[in-house]
Amino acid sequence: MAADESAAVDAGEQTTASTARRRRLETIFRRELRTVARTRTFLLLAAALAAVTLGVTWVGGGFTAGYLPAVVDLLTPMELLVPIVAIAFGYRAILGDEQRGELDVLETYPVSARELVVGVYAGRAVGLAATVVVALGLVGIAIAVTGDDTLRMYASHSGADSPILFARFLVLTVVFALVVLAVAIALSALVSETKSALAVAVVALVVLLIGLDLALVYGLAAGLIGDGELIHSLAVSPLSAYRGLVLETTVGVASGTGPRIASPLASLLGFAVWTGGSLAVAVWGVSR
Amino acid sequence: MSEHRHHSSSEPILHAQALEHDYGSISVLENVTLPISRGAVTGLIGPNGSGKTTLLRVLAGLLEPTAGTVTYNGEETARRIGYLPQQPAFRPGFTVAETLSFYAALVGEDKSTAMDRLEQVGLSDARRRPVEALSGGMTRLVGIAQATIGDPPVIVLDEPASGLDPGMSSHVFDVATELAGAGTAVILSSHDLELVDQHADEVVVLDDGSIATRGRPAAIRQSLGVDTVRGVYEASISGETTTVRVQGVSS
Repeated sequence: MAADESAAVDAGEQTTASTARRRRLETIFRRELRTVARTRTFLLLAAALAAVTLGVTWVGGGFTAGYLPAVVDLLTPMELLVPIVAIAFGYRAILGDEQRGELDVLETYPVSARELVVGVYAGRAVGLAATVVVALGLVGIAIAVTGDDTLRMYASHSGADSPILFARFLVLTVVFALVVLAVAIALSALVSETKSALAVAVVALVVLLIGLDLALVYGLAAGLIGDGELIHSLAVSPLSAYRGLVLETTVGVASGTGPRIASPLASLLGFAVWTGGSLAVAVWGVSR
Repeated sequence: MSEHRHHSSSEPILHAQALEHDYGSISVLENVTLPISRGAVTGLIGPNGSGKTTLLRVLAGLLEPTAGTVTYNGEETARRIGYLPQQPAFRPGFTVAETLSFYAALVGEDKSTAMDRLEQVGLSDARRRPVEALSGGMTRLVGIAQATIGDPPVIVLDEPASGLDPGMSSHVFDVATELAGAGTAVILSSHDLELVDQHADEVVVLDDGSIATRGRPAAIRQSLGVDTVRGVYEASISGETTTVRVQGVSS
């Protein structure tokens, strides 16, 4: 009987602790979301990204040509712009609190480093995802409204253009943005000055946009990566993984022929490792 | 190094024992032993660079001492120690009310409780003002209100009266006394020796990283043969009071 009561008390305490944890996470999440919504720089970035995506699609004739040509036109600009926007969303997320001494103050509250990082990441992630969705969503709507042919078929099989393919591109772009955001949050937790944060952010962009791809090319040229391993090795670089996923699941599907461009499973696993690893580094950085 | 044990209420709620803290090769705290009593205001005074902020940060659990321990003997609460940094600042883009509500929500308090704390420090009229539009003194008052959120049994205030006009300085010390009257252990640093004299139940003079003098104001005044806490300060400090002594540099 005493054991039952003890178990009941333990279960009650666990529930209370879990509720308190969820409340703290929600509180931090809401603050981040409000910060994103109230920061003019983020709104300008969102507007600029939307303008560029619409402009690139218009210049490429994508509004009349259809969803797939628009994806092909937008892929390269997105490879460059999305990491920049994601880094801008995250590189001062934790650093700002540290510089103001708010991290010290938060340390006197029952907030763990993990709760702080997850809350900050989640809040910024929603803002960043909305930025990407609005930019690409406007393109999708514009194509639907101004396209030459009215699509009667929403297909994902070979040889057909489809809004589903564009939706895949949109979702993959959001996921890619969130991976880079996690890297930015990790950097934000490691640096202690704005200047060094900017410098590290630039280095991170170079590594993400060029360095890892070059490493893959070197690995292939030096024979470290075999031909058969290449599509899996692309997962090492978030950029290559994103590019491979887009080509494999949209362009490749529509064309219906050709060799495999990427391993979706390995690429998604790469995304997960980069995100999880970066957030783990951020937690370590906050608790130092 | 921070420990927690269950003790009777007569024991110090926070007990620093043989604290040492070094920044690289520079020793900032040397063999500091300091019991902090419940329901009392402990005033920490000392020249610039004597180690006050470092000691307060160690007591608040924000800095790991190089040696020694800080033992917390209070009850388990959502928040053990409230803390006002020397230069408080808040995330811009939020009003005072939103800022305090954020901190209050972390310990399960609602907005009205946060506003009560704002009223306690005399700043309720500024609740809708963005934090970036506050003066330095007002920001400090918001910081003091923040330090009380969650009713922590120990509150550490690093120069709470700095930058405040005489009336508000006095009010801040009144608030500290009220908190102590309600059973909270308040430890604060200040250069306003008159206010420390009037409000502190215990005065600690820190000199060159060590405790030079400690005790009830009347008792240490009597033992040193002086009339005021300023006299205690001047009698306890080993160097020139008009020169900043930089620790690690011998003049």
